[in-house]
Amino acid sequence: MKTATLNKSDLGKCIDLLVQADLRVIAPRLQPRLDEDGPDSIDVLTFTEVDSGEGHQVGEGLLPLNGVKEFLFAKHEPLFAYEKRGKKIEIIPVHHEYPQTVIIGVRPCDAASIASLESVFSDANAGFEDPFFTERRSRTTFITYSCTAPDASCFCTSVNLSPDSAKGSDLHLTEIGDGRLHVEVISKAGEAVAKQLQDLLEGEGDQAAREKAGAEVSEKLTRIRDSAPIMDWLMDTANFDDEMWQRLGEKCIGCGACTFACPTCHCFDIVDENKGSKGYRVKFWDSCQFDHFTLHASGHNPRDWQYKRYRNRFNCKFKIYPEKFETPGCVGCGRCIRACPVNLDITEYMAEVAHKAANPSAMKADQDSE
Amino acid sequence: MSNIYQPDLMTITKIIQEAPGIKTFHLKFQDENVASNFSFQTGQFGEYSAFGAGESTFCIASSPTRPDHIECCFREVGKVTTALANLTEGDTIGFRGPYGNTFPLDDWRGKNLIFIGGGIALPPLRSVIWNCLDLREQDGRFGHVSIVYGARSVQDLVYKREIEEWSQMENVTMVKTVDPGGETDDWDGHIGFVPHVLENDFKPDPENTVAIVCGPPIMIKFTFEALERLGFKQEQLVTTLENRMKCGLGKCGRCNIGSTYVCIDGPVFTATELAALPQEF
Repeated sequence: MKTATLNKSDLGKCIDLLVQADLRVIAPRLQPRLDEDGPDSIDVLTFTEVDSGEGHQVGEGLLPLNGVKEFLFAKHEPLFAYEKRGKKIEIIPVHHEYPQTVIIGVRPCDAASIASLESVFSDANAGFEDPFFTERRSRTTFITYSCTAPDASCFCTSVNLSPDSAKGSDLHLTEIGDGRLHVEVISKAGEAVAKQLQDLLEGEGDQAAREKAGAEVSEKLTRIRDSAPIMDWLMDTANFDDEMWQRLGEKCIGCGACTFACPTCHCFDIVDENKGSKGYRVKFWDSCQFDHFTLHASGHNPRDWQYKRYRNRFNCKFKIYPEKFETPGCVGCGRCIRACPVNLDITEYMAEVAHKAANPSAMKADQDSE
Repeated sequence: MSNIYQPDLMTITKIIQEAPGIKTFHLKFQDENVASNFSFQTGQFGEYSAFGAGESTFCIASSPTRPDHIECCFREVGKVTTALANLTEGDTIGFRGPYGNTFPLDDWRGKNLIFIGGGIALPPLRSVIWNCLDLREQDGRFGHVSIVYGARSVQDLVYKREIEEWSQMENVTMVKTVDPGGETDDWDGHIGFVPHVLENDFKPDPENTVAIVCGPPIMIKFTFEALERLGFKQEQLVTTLENRMKCGLGKCGRCNIGSTYVCIDGPVFTATELAALPQEF
């Protein structure tokens, strides 16, 4: 693998070079949320399209609020337009731009989520390819950046990742001290980007320093859970009715914040946005936490209680994704924990399952004595 | 790259009012290339669109042995089905499909078949009933065919003319029932819920027989239980599920029962397969 070093202070110049190469560049920046001039406005780290390296926050802060999902799987997009003419309908394709894109400053957890989304939207899933996703995916290059300061909600090391993982990356950057970055070319797309940046890249990287830095950051993660037994425990359908689901899920209010924040959540809705005799059929993010999500026309609802909807979400992360799509459902980014208004914590479920899996007879005895 | 979400256009060539709020559409593709390349197998479903309102999921209610047109049958209950119901003959709808798996007709060779349905659940069975009757006519590949069908009231029965036709056919036993209170003075069928009539009046012999059940989840549950008390084994019981869907393509995340997506792994399941799933349907 090709490696090099880069001065951290040259990251802005890297963005400038990529912009000058006619690439669309998306980088973390501090962007005002809410009303820009209003009294409640607050600057939040956000992935946003940039036209220069000015003000970039690559390698700063922790996780941008929005993740990279929306740049591959649009929050809202027209699938086609239609127009009614008497008894006839005309379907009009919608032109989408798929510019060659580089997303820089992607954290390892977000980068690891891309393969998961791809396993749902590509033709590997039942032979049906979502062209909007795959067109964007094939034109997007990811420059990732090892974490330096995980926070209390991070738990990537609990789901077989690490703060310096290069999984899903094309070009991977890791701080190795003295304002230097170790650069790893991971893929062909990464090699192409490295070529654009060649004037700023120097010699060879420092593999030993990179590994040392990664290990040091891993030590900082405080939220450690054992996810190894979870899938097997979920595969036992008897555990689908475990008392844990209702007890832990009691406080969930079904707002869906966790699903919109989650880098691997892929649920969407399809509706017609109609105006007079024409309109668009659109696809947009939806959430399995909403009570009407699975509601039948008859009024029957297979997930009629909120705890069942959260049970589905947990199963999706630790059983459905790995079993059906053969990719991880959870990358340990902690966004769902930070976003939850009632402090519902997915790692609490993980810990409980690990405990139940390790002590099956004890748990059974507890239930019998109740 | 082709757009998997874009429907083909079909013309409504005929509309039949089956029962109050329930209509059948006969549909033909407008593009001849699409029409000549289209084929489906019984049990599969489609996404039907009323442009301006959106898409709804229904089975294909006609048999692949009668390929002149396809049919769907739906109850007017929500935004899309209301918009569909407001269309008239000659109007255009959108169709995506066929999606999903199919009834395992090859496994049923030489066997007696019992089709059991309730209310608006006859349309999926109607496709496979005609398919089996037509194939039996050709080469005698199936044994005796029985149809047990019930609705809330006499007026809620769908395919009334075909119920009469099946009643007249040789080697077909037609058992019809309506819920207590739903009968009329001249009603000549049973009175009682489908599982009850099945178990106490019809009492089918499980020997060399497959039972195909379609209805709301609660009806499937009680009918399977009744059949098991009659001696049917789980592998002799087949059903088709109708979970809410949007894409039909295994992507939108709505129809799953555990890791099983009804849209791509179903909608047809045996009772053995259902028993292995989390009980959430």
